[in-house]
Amino acid sequence: MSDQPQADEPIKFRRKGFKFLGLGLQEYIKYFFGGNASLAIIVLVLICTFLLKEGIAFFPDYNKELREYRQTGQEFVDYADRQIDAHTRINSDANIAYYAELNQSSKFEDDILSAYRSVGSFVRSATSSETDQLKRYTERIEDLEDNLAKLAEAPATDEIDGRAQIQQLAVELDDYQQRSEKLKGEILTHFRLHLANESIWENVRPGIHLSKESKELVLTAVLHKQPGVKEEYPEIKQLMADSSAKKKVATESLAEFKSTITALSKAVRPMKSFVRDLKDIASENAREAKKFSTAELRYDALLKGSEKAATESDKQRFIEQAGAVDRTKPNFEEITKPLIAKTDEHNKLSVELQKEIARLVPLLPKNPATESARENLQKVQGNAANFPNIAEESREEMMDWNFDKKNSVFHALGAFFFGKHWISNSSWRDFYGILPLFTGSLLIALIALAVAVPFSLAAAIYVNQLASRREQNFIKPAIEFIGAIPSVVLGFFGILVLGTALRNVSQIEALSWIPGFPMAERLTILNAGLLLAFMAVPTIFTLAEDALNNVPQALSENSFAMGASKLQTILRVVFPASISGIIAAVLLGFGRIVGETMVVLLVAGNKIKIPDFTEGIGVVTQPAHTMTGIIAQELGEVDKGSLHWGALFMVGLVLFFMSLVINFSAQRILKKLQKF
Amino acid sequence: MNDTMSATEHQDYSTAPQATTSNPPEIEHEVVIEIDDVNFSYDKKKDVLQDITLDLRKNEVTAFIGPSGCGKSTLLRCMNRMNDLIPNAGLTKGEIRILGTDIHAPEVDVIELRKHVGMVFQKYNPFPKSIYENVAYGLRIQGIKNKAILDEAVETSLISAGLWEEVKDRLDASGLGLSGGQQQRLCIARTIAVQPKIILMDEPCSALDPLSTATIEDLITKLKHDFTIAIVTHNMQQATRVSDKTAFFYLGELIEFSDTTKLFTNPSVKATEDYISGRFG
Repeated sequence: MSDQPQADEPIKFRRKGFKFLGLGLQEYIKYFFGGNASLAIIVLVLICTFLLKEGIAFFPDYNKELREYRQTGQEFVDYADRQIDAHTRINSDANIAYYAELNQSSKFEDDILSAYRSVGSFVRSATSSETDQLKRYTERIEDLEDNLAKLAEAPATDEIDGRAQIQQLAVELDDYQQRSEKLKGEILTHFRLHLANESIWENVRPGIHLSKESKELVLTAVLHKQPGVKEEYPEIKQLMADSSAKKKVATESLAEFKSTITALSKAVRPMKSFVRDLKDIASENAREAKKFSTAELRYDALLKGSEKAATESDKQRFIEQAGAVDRTKPNFEEITKPLIAKTDEHNKLSVELQKEIARLVPLLPKNPATESARENLQKVQGNAANFPNIAEESREEMMDWNFDKKNSVFHALGAFFFGKHWISNSSWRDFYGILPLFTGSLLIALIALAVAVPFSLAAAIYVNQLASRREQNFIKPAIEFIGAIPSVVLGFFGILVLGTALRNVSQIEALSWIPGFPMAERLTILNAGLLLAFMAVPTIFTLAEDALNNVPQALSENSFAMGASKLQTILRVVFPASISGIIAAVLLGFGRIVGETMVVLLVAGNKIKIPDFTEGIGVVTQPAHTMTGIIAQELGEVDKGSLHWGALFMVGLVLFFMSLVINFSAQRILKKLQKF
Repeated sequence: MNDTMSATEHQDYSTAPQATTSNPPEIEHEVVIEIDDVNFSYDKKKDVLQDITLDLRKNEVTAFIGPSGCGKSTLLRCMNRMNDLIPNAGLTKGEIRILGTDIHAPEVDVIELRKHVGMVFQKYNPFPKSIYENVAYGLRIQGIKNKAILDEAVETSLISAGLWEEVKDRLDASGLGLSGGQQQRLCIARTIAVQPKIILMDEPCSALDPLSTATIEDLITKLKHDFTIAIVTHNMQQATRVSDKTAFFYLGELIEFSDTTKLFTNPSVKATEDYISGRFG
């Protein structure tokens, strides 16, 4: 205590140490951390603003586009076109029914022949390089034989020389013949190798199931028809003859059916050519409109160029060119008049078409032999009955149509959020409706959730409540490891392994009662959903396991003391007690699924169409496109600032708000559940 | 037994138990639990209970007292085999018979056993469910779905646990919203709803304030008309207030077991006297 401050010197409570610009080290550290935190928020705000700025501009642009669609009369023509669409549907269903009936009689022969052709073409294409080589040899041999024959016939001018030439050619010919024989042998070996492989049957069209004998026959026939052999294998020839004979008989017995269908497809011809004319007019109008909308821009650009021009003559030229730009607004009323003038004619054609359909459809067979024909004819009946309604609707829309009818601000909104078509780079008109993408995303996410949630919750319960320590130490890291698999690798797996496996399973005869089976496609909603489920499992599992772990041990002990079994305790006490954490886990998993891009882009099939829900649950075997997938696929190829670009940003915004809603509702649910 | 104790008397800690409870009972009650020369170990190596022999009689409250770690809670948890949940733990000698059956016999279903031997824990732990569902839990896991039966069981159990008047208007509210004492009574109601023969209480009042403690103690003395009760307690006044018999444990051994009045007024072993007079423990 010797260095106590002296009494006359006041104690100073001054800070010591580093100081810069009035701030101490502690403050700098504090601001460094704070700065990092706020940086994240700034970036988030920037992203939101950017998305909004790019996205919102889409609606006025789209409104303009839709207005142009109306002004040019394209909308009018599409209304007229609707009846043709409806007719096409009826016609194609009837056709499918007809061919199902026709092919029924010779199904046995056709199946074998089809398998024979697929297997044969696979084997031939697999050995095509050798076959080509063989062809070259054969040509060469023919050439040599020709030359030899010519030399033999030609009067020998110089005997010795001629003989030497003949000898030389003969040696060459012999060599080629030997080579050719050897190659033939090699090709045959390759044929045998390929044919011995069981996987060769994967080339056969799905739905064809051959007996053992038939398969033998196909293999022998393919082996028989090696390169150079023109004749078909006798039994195949017989099958072909049988098939065509049976078809002939069937064609005769189905002659009435056929003529009805022909009449049905002819019925629409006048309407078709009529609408084609309308389309030509409207397309011309659309070109006019496009020209007008770009003319302003060109004019401005040329004037600007003239200001910057180096020489006086250049400047003059620019101004001249600008003056030449046709900036007159097309008179939409005038150019759509020819369309409207034809309304009456269209109505007349429509009435005739309706009459024809009403006359012809009852003539179709009532009791077809095959299931497929029955189903399709039923569809035909239903669509035909509905046809007058469609015709009436289309007529009314055409009557109401007016080139100048104003679109409200919400028109573009509705057309985007409820539009059934996403069509870009079309020669007719682009449409940006999110519905096909939204339904695709939603279906895939629902499948993924439906699979992932029970799977991961059951796994979490097992690991947390039932597994031994050793099992825990194995299962937990294994499941968490799934999260480390890059999604593009999973997509790979989905295309090559899961897709093929699913399709093969779906072709098992005994499973054909499952809706949607057999599947025609490998890349489907189901496939993508299953893979996404796999990706979501680690997220849901880990969080759910944590939630279960947080349930106090005492709670389960209480339950045991009441005489509850292990299972009862888990289901009635532990699980409900951790429900809030589990819901959070599921919602986070859902977020992961909705936002996933790579897997769906690779595996979902990328078909931009609202899936056909008439199949019921079988809808999942169709391909679809998704919101994330379309952005990844198309954003690289669009012009910056174009309508398409804006549409993609809007899709991004929708995704963004979906995530927001999911998170928000998750929190609401949690709050509600925390009551208990 | 005619018990006339009231809640007001509980607060008078100096008052000795009344004559009616202190007199040796005229009728010897039927033995419900026989603990016969039991050793128990948590790790199959060191016995934490040694040579315990003890009878618990019907409609009596038996208090287990002793310093921490003396094995009284362990013995309690042996009686409904809660120790089964701990790997490697188990009896190493002797047997426990409840109503004449050896509870460790292979044909005994531990779930059935626990239905007859209920337990109330030190830390009240209502399930995160409504009050109604908490009480109905035991019946529901037995598969009873009939609403009328459940309603009646819930009401009688809550009345027995002295909680009915306080919660009858909010049976659908969460059990976790009650006060501590109420939650413990809810746990007691939950236990008695399944009509066990025996209720084991592991320091039921140690986490409660004196008023709630008094309520629970009052409840225990009422419940013994219908149930056989074993209670572990650190509070010696509590033992004198609620129990008929008291067992004093020390270092895993049963030192003394006799009528509560006798044990507290005239202990026959020196260690007991030292403990109850507060010289250690």
